[in-house]
Amino acid sequence: MSSILFYILALVALLGAAGVILAKSPMGSVISLLGTFFALAVIYLLAGFQFLAAAQILVYAGAILVLFLFVIMLLNLGAMGSRFELSFAPLQGGRARLAGAIAVALALVGLIAAQRTTLAATPATAPDAKAIDGLEGIALELFGRYSLPFQAVSVLLLATMVAVIVLAKRQRAGEHGEEPR
Amino acid sequence: MNIPTAHLLYLSAGLFALGVLGFMVRRNVIVVLMCVELMLNAANLAFLAASRQHALEGKPALQGPIFAIFVITVAAAEAAVGLALIIALYRLKQSAETDAAAEMKG
Repeated sequence: MSSILFYILALVALLGAAGVILAKSPMGSVISLLGTFFALAVIYLLAGFQFLAAAQILVYAGAILVLFLFVIMLLNLGAMGSRFELSFAPLQGGRARLAGAIAVALALVGLIAAQRTTLAATPATAPDAKAIDGLEGIALELFGRYSLPFQAVSVLLLATMVAVIVLAKRQRAGEHGEEPR
Repeated sequence: MNIPTAHLLYLSAGLFALGVLGFMVRRNVIVVLMCVELMLNAANLAFLAASRQHALEGKPALQGPIFAIFVITVAAAEAAVGLALIIALYRLKQSAETDAAAEMKG
């Protein structure tokens, strides 16, 4: 039962990823990406990662995609109309053909790598009810063995905050006219 | 869920390849950023598939979720900086396409 659900969700995730590329407007891309993220969250849940499923929905769907939507609406990119369609030429021209070749090659490398790791032969009888990432275990690892990376990530977030404020601050007209920002 | 780990890795490979394809084909900078997010998600799925395999074999399996948390954090930071750059680019060029910023003739 859950195996069938996994394959359906995998199909949904792949179709959503294709929709991100094929959507005519950025708004459609965001909605497709939302579908992919939700399918991945349920796959995490099925695989036994309950905390990661929650984090996926909260952080990706709840924060990052809302940020994308916010910027799309702020810049009024939702309806680009015919000008956008002209610039969007999927799989036309040398650059797009090269990109397609590279993507197919990467997918093949991934498939072969997954095939060669003899993982398919192991009996997969997961303890479905029990979460692999229990909160207690995660907390002990995150604040114990991985406390240095945790602090590094905290500094990264602080630096990001400062950088975003500097980058997105509106330049005052007349004052620092020459200063590139 | 009686799914072989290899099938999770197949899904990860497919998502990553689609992300690379979109990254190179699309010209809208926002869609390019979304494709980067897609690739990071594929990496997360690979981490979790490996961690699940460890759990099935009875080994400690918390490294995968921990690294996935770090990846999610860095993805959030990257999205914030990328979108700020897009706003700056739009202010400069009145456009959000990759071809708009071609001063370096890349």
